[in-house]
Amino acid sequence: MITSIDIKNKIKDYIIKTTLANVEDIADDTLIFEEGLLDSMGLLFLIEFLKEEFDITTNDDELIVENFESINNIVDFTKSKL
Amino acid sequence: MNPKHRKPFSKDILHIENIEEVCNNITEKLRNDVVFKLQRRGAVIGISGGIDSSVCMALSAKAFGPSKVTAIMLPEQDSSEDSKNLALKLADTFNVKILEENITHALDGFGCYQRRDEAIRRVITDFDPNIDKAKIEIRQNIDQNIPAIFSITVIKPDGKTISKLLPAKEYLQIVAATNFKQRSRMSMLYYHAERLHYAVIGTPNKHEVEQGFFVKYGDGGADVMPIGHLYKTQVYQLASHLGVPQEIIDRTPTTDTYTAEQTQEDFFYQMPFESMDLIWYGWENGYSANEVGKVMDKTEQKIHNIYKSFERKKKTTEYLRMRPIF
Repeated sequence: MITSIDIKNKIKDYIIKTTLANVEDIADDTLIFEEGLLDSMGLLFLIEFLKEEFDITTNDDELIVENFESINNIVDFTKSKL
Repeated sequence: MNPKHRKPFSKDILHIENIEEVCNNITEKLRNDVVFKLQRRGAVIGISGGIDSSVCMALSAKAFGPSKVTAIMLPEQDSSEDSKNLALKLADTFNVKILEENITHALDGFGCYQRRDEAIRRVITDFDPNIDKAKIEIRQNIDQNIPAIFSITVIKPDGKTISKLLPAKEYLQIVAATNFKQRSRMSMLYYHAERLHYAVIGTPNKHEVEQGFFVKYGDGGADVMPIGHLYKTQVYQLASHLGVPQEIIDRTPTTDTYTAEQTQEDFFYQMPFESMDLIWYGWENGYSANEVGKVMDKTEQKIHNIYKSFERKKKTTEYLRMRPIF
């Protein structure tokens, strides 16, 4: 079974790879929209990544900032859907 | 703007006091830009029956005289019949010559409809473009503080609606296919502009330019944009002053792009123009969320979130306003 650490690492790797950010610039609680790391398309591609990697589908009503604003929040959201 | 010298924020802050003078300044600049900078002898403008193109046409008629302006309707199979009737009335009001160029066959040739419908069907499998209507829309509120994500909504003949979040691949394909419409219109406008040695007048207003609500090399492809610095409520003020027909002023702004009826608010802006103009002005001129919130009857946090959304939209759409890099 996939562990919380695995989930976090995969999500963190994905965000670092797609935003070309430096590892030290992204903490687990960095606000990724506030910092301009992800925009609309970035969020859309992230949702697609979650579907491909963890087979979770994001619904309309789950598109709230609390589910996506930081790596910690994305990890919690992902775990809640598994 | 130095906060000490600016007016207190109010709901009237965007009202144009000296409307005649503002119109004269715009038309004088338009004339100078077209005749001296662009060295063209008149104006071609695509008209849709919407408020922005109507005001631009009225300003062009004032700047060059009606005989030096050619208005062109560019309908396609998804355009509403209202658009045509209003465009005809507008041209008649200002005594401007009007032509109709239906671009449906050109769009068919590009595969615009087929590529769009194929992407919709991948998301909503029982979508039938012959009888169903479809549109894309943002279903989150602007103050939710999350980037906008589009959904596809299909409306069945019995009124039943099916709505699903659009995956990236399908969203991009639908937008890319639909953008053939604006780009085909631009090509046709330049055909007539070159034939007549005229300039193409672009119709985007300040929000469209700065929030990126236009298609690069589509409706964003023009020689001059006379209302690119005006807020939407100011465009309405000019429309009344210039004598644009009341039916056009009263009409809710639509995209006239998808088969289902769709307002610009649903599609992109996520809030009414009256509020958006004022909050954008507040954001752009450094008014605090607290000061703006008091006037707009919204919490400081809501205004803060809307400011963030504006920042995101401006940043995300920078690419649209960029010239080719070399």
